[in-house]
Amino acid sequence: MTESTRDRDWIAPMELDPDGSAPLPVEEEAPEPVPGVEPEVERLPAVRAMRGAGGSRVGRWLAGALAAIVAVALGFDTADLLARSFATSLALGVLVAAAVSVAVVSAGAMLLRELRSLRRLRRIEELRGTADRLEGEAGHGEGDRFAGALARLYDGRPDLEPVLVRLKDAITDAHDDAEVVRLIDREVLAGLDRAAYQLTLRASRDTAIATALSPAAVIDLAVVLWRNLKLVREIATLYGVRPGYFGSLRLLRRMLANLAVAGVAESAHHVAVDALGGSLAAAISTRVGQGVINGLLTARVGITAMHTCRPVAFGPHNRPSLGRIRTELLTLPKQVL
Amino acid sequence: MRIQDLTDLTGAGTRLFDQLGDAAGRMLEGEIRLGVTGLRRAGKTVFVTALVDNLLKAGRLPFLDVMASGRFRAARLKPQPDADVPRFEYERHLEALTGPAPDWPQPTRGISQLRLAIRYRPGSALRRAVQTASTLNLVVVDYPGEWLLDLPLLRLSFAQWSTMTLDMARHPPRAPLSADWLAWADSIDPAAPAEEEDARRGAALYTAYLHACRRIEPGLSLIQPGRFVEPGDMKNAPLLTFCPLPGDRRGRHSLWALMEERYDAYKTSVVRRFFTEHFARLDRQVVLIDVLGALNAGPIGLADMKRALQLSLEPFRHGSSGWLDWLLGTRIDRVLFAATKADHIAASQHGNLKTLLDGFVAEARSHIRFEGAAVETMALASLKCTDTVITEHEGRQLRCVRGIPVGRDRPTVLFPGDIPPGHEVFPPGRERPYSFLSFKPPAGAGADGRGLPHVRLDQALQFLLGDYLE
Repeated sequence: MTESTRDRDWIAPMELDPDGSAPLPVEEEAPEPVPGVEPEVERLPAVRAMRGAGGSRVGRWLAGALAAIVAVALGFDTADLLARSFATSLALGVLVAAAVSVAVVSAGAMLLRELRSLRRLRRIEELRGTADRLEGEAGHGEGDRFAGALARLYDGRPDLEPVLVRLKDAITDAHDDAEVVRLIDREVLAGLDRAAYQLTLRASRDTAIATALSPAAVIDLAVVLWRNLKLVREIATLYGVRPGYFGSLRLLRRMLANLAVAGVAESAHHVAVDALGGSLAAAISTRVGQGVINGLLTARVGITAMHTCRPVAFGPHNRPSLGRIRTELLTLPKQVL
Repeated sequence: MRIQDLTDLTGAGTRLFDQLGDAAGRMLEGEIRLGVTGLRRAGKTVFVTALVDNLLKAGRLPFLDVMASGRFRAARLKPQPDADVPRFEYERHLEALTGPAPDWPQPTRGISQLRLAIRYRPGSALRRAVQTASTLNLVVVDYPGEWLLDLPLLRLSFAQWSTMTLDMARHPPRAPLSADWLAWADSIDPAAPAEEEDARRGAALYTAYLHACRRIEPGLSLIQPGRFVEPGDMKNAPLLTFCPLPGDRRGRHSLWALMEERYDAYKTSVVRRFFTEHFARLDRQVVLIDVLGALNAGPIGLADMKRALQLSLEPFRHGSSGWLDWLLGTRIDRVLFAATKADHIAASQHGNLKTLLDGFVAEARSHIRFEGAAVETMALASLKCTDTVITEHEGRQLRCVRGIPVGRDRPTVLFPGDIPPGHEVFPPGRERPYSFLSFKPPAGAGADGRGLPHVRLDQALQFLLGDYLE
């Protein structure tokens, strides 16, 4: 920096008029993301790595075209159906028309709900990106906006109301952005983490027992699938994603991306221990062994869902581990036999 | 082996015995001794008051793990452990801060203590199984920073100390203050037979010089020996009638020999006594530093503070030189250096203030971290007196502080100057780039019953006590 630029940047210490100042925090409305438009924010590197392949664009065009064709065909068919009903009798026509309008309205409502849930998932991802940046930069002034966005996300959740009030109390204008994020992590999300871990624990025990006791492989496959889906939805709802059907699918896709690319769940060391524990259990009983392995898989799904749905990424100190679930599951043979 | 080392050995033995007894007591009920000291008007009294108040009322400590996880039950004041140490007058200081006309409490002289019992639920399931609620006794020991700066004297002989002190006194900013004393030191003959009158005169001049160092605006931090300005109970004792002398070891009954004798006596009965009775029994230490005051004082004030800071790090370097040191070492395993009055700058500047402080302790810190205590730095405010606000100035947004300065009764908005992110805090050509004002305690502080508002006091507590409250 040369002397002249320094001089221009430099401001002498001074006192100013108290009336001309605005207090921090300046409450600014966070820009609402427009549905359908990809927000230009950072997302998980893992997720980004999955995108950008040239093939997916062609696939999207294909899907779009097919959907349009189906929609047009459906429209023609419905119009045709209506015309024929009215031709047969007025009563039948009115009946069919009523049925069609109910179908259209409910389909529209469903679509809206799906879109909203997708938007919430995206918003959580945005928040995670922001939190990452704020923690890294430790600047000042954006933390309040972040806390505000998070409070809006959890607005209308009676279980979180006291926590949010406490959070608002705890944050002062003296905290820098990284501290605000850490406060949110401790005050709000730590409680959610505990609840999510309990959910995961319960689900993995369920699948383990169901696998161990089910008479046919088909049944336990179905039970495991259903229970895993339910777990993902429960955890997502807990963190405020409220997923619909497409939302869940999208969530699953994100989770797969995370599992495959980032290897979020555990290190190789843990995998080895799991396998060892599993084989030990398998020596006792094949069915129970399978149960333990299925339970561990469910636990892994649950923990990945926690990673995917949390508005602030886990740090090294609070990362959920399979440890407790593993010990719980390894006592299962004793319980079942 | 010299006599000095023998007393060291017996002292070490006694202390070892004491520590065993202490350890036995700690097994039964947890106790932690937290030393609080500060360099140059750093706000020790306010720090201790705010710390105790926040623990008692437990409303504003989100970064203290035991609070955040809801395991904290309550804290209350308890009678002191040591009958011969004055009590820290928490109630009186709190009243001064929160009364109808809030003002800063009178600075404390000498050492004082306060004991708090903190009741909490242990975090680990194993400990919960043994007892559902644990108690940690927190003893806060507040002593003047000058006493901490005395500890390095234990390593210095009279000749070494004299050389160092004289050299410092001959250079700015001390030279004008020390003129009288230096003139006297140059006029006498250290080899001449000792006269009590000469010794008293020298000590009086030297004391006056030290007082001047402290009194001038901006004050200087490095003042040795500390009891000359903070005599406590030994005002006018012969122990305090010596001063550094030029030259080297002289004849047996010379003035030099007399001064050396008294210097050694000071080391044994003042410095070492403080070390064994108080300092060696501390578990954690926080050193408060008024970095903003030093910045206000310009490059010379800052350099003086830096030197004092590095000296004050010395006692925590235990284990660095030889077996004797190991025996004499303290058990302090965490030291926090905190830049106080962080509320006097905009919150966006706290990071830079911390970086600046980091730079001062960086060198010593790497040694200490390797051998002795863990060292942490922080920018904090024991009592938050200002708010950070945004102001427009010539088309630019400035982050300023708003509060009521001492001596006025209307709030003002102050832009005190930005601390640059690096260590080059005094850009060339700008003699006084900063103007930090002192602010009054806010009216009605802590009136909501949740404890005094603060900046990062909870993070300081987490570093200092957190692992004891697991």
